[in-house]
Amino acid sequence: MLPTAEEAAQALRDIDLISHRAAGFQDYRAESGQLILWGLFYLVGFTLTFCFPAQALALWGVLLVGAVAIGIRLAMNSGAGGGIALRYLGLITTMVAFVVAVHVVFWPVSGEQSAMIAPVFVSALYILRGIQLRPRYTVIGLVLGTLCLGGYLFLLPVFWPWMAMACGGTLILAGLWLRSH
Amino acid sequence: MQTPDEIIHQPVRLKIMAALNTLQSGQWLEFVALRAIVQATDGNLGAHLGTLESAGYVVVKKDFVGRKPRTRICLSRLGREAFSRYVSTLQAILAPGSLGAEDADDG
Repeated sequence: MLPTAEEAAQALRDIDLISHRAAGFQDYRAESGQLILWGLFYLVGFTLTFCFPAQALALWGVLLVGAVAIGIRLAMNSGAGGGIALRYLGLITTMVAFVVAVHVVFWPVSGEQSAMIAPVFVSALYILRGIQLRPRYTVIGLVLGTLCLGGYLFLLPVFWPWMAMACGGTLILAGLWLRSH
Repeated sequence: MQTPDEIIHQPVRLKIMAALNTLQSGQWLEFVALRAIVQATDGNLGAHLGTLESAGYVVVKKDFVGRKPRTRICLSRLGREAFSRYVSTLQAILAPGSLGAEDADDG
């Protein structure tokens, strides 16, 4: 029997709702792997900076190359479609360029000030993404930004260990949180 | 006018098909993930998946990750085509021409 127009409209609304929910689920799944990866990147990076401050720049460089390589692989495995490697590289290049540009504009900057730029930028991006798309991203951005800024303002004597936990730890926990969605 | 596919035109099966249709061809969704998206119980979801599998609309694969059993589901090409036809049928029902025809029939 042919459904009424009302039943057909309801079925189409159900399809939209489920499609949106499924897309959100996949988005959170894909993002969780990236959050855990970049959380580990910051956790190891800030810990190494604390232990070997003189070699910090070189260590961050090596970590960045490794994280980008793994990140591209994760993105490709998430079924994000063609061209994801280039888009991923474009995203990372933009972020690195932003960090370099801020350094150029505000130079000289201390190590602690330098370390704040990327986390604050990432925090702002997640807040904006959450406002536009999915609410959990806003929570992640707010927690990340608040903890990092709090460490810079009030915990400078233990800044590097704090940042390892506040930035790296927050991103890892955020990744696990999205995975539980 | 063509009637909607009766296999898909059931609320839980419709949700299953809609969720699987968001995946790219050949991409699998785990049973637990599908259950969370569709918000059905294990038994209910399993029964409806059985119906869809019998119709050839989905493929169900069971394997192990370590010692943990895992069930994954994928939309078949037949299923994707059937779902596309189903959506087109619903849209045709809502199309202005279709409503006009109903009105004319009523009149």
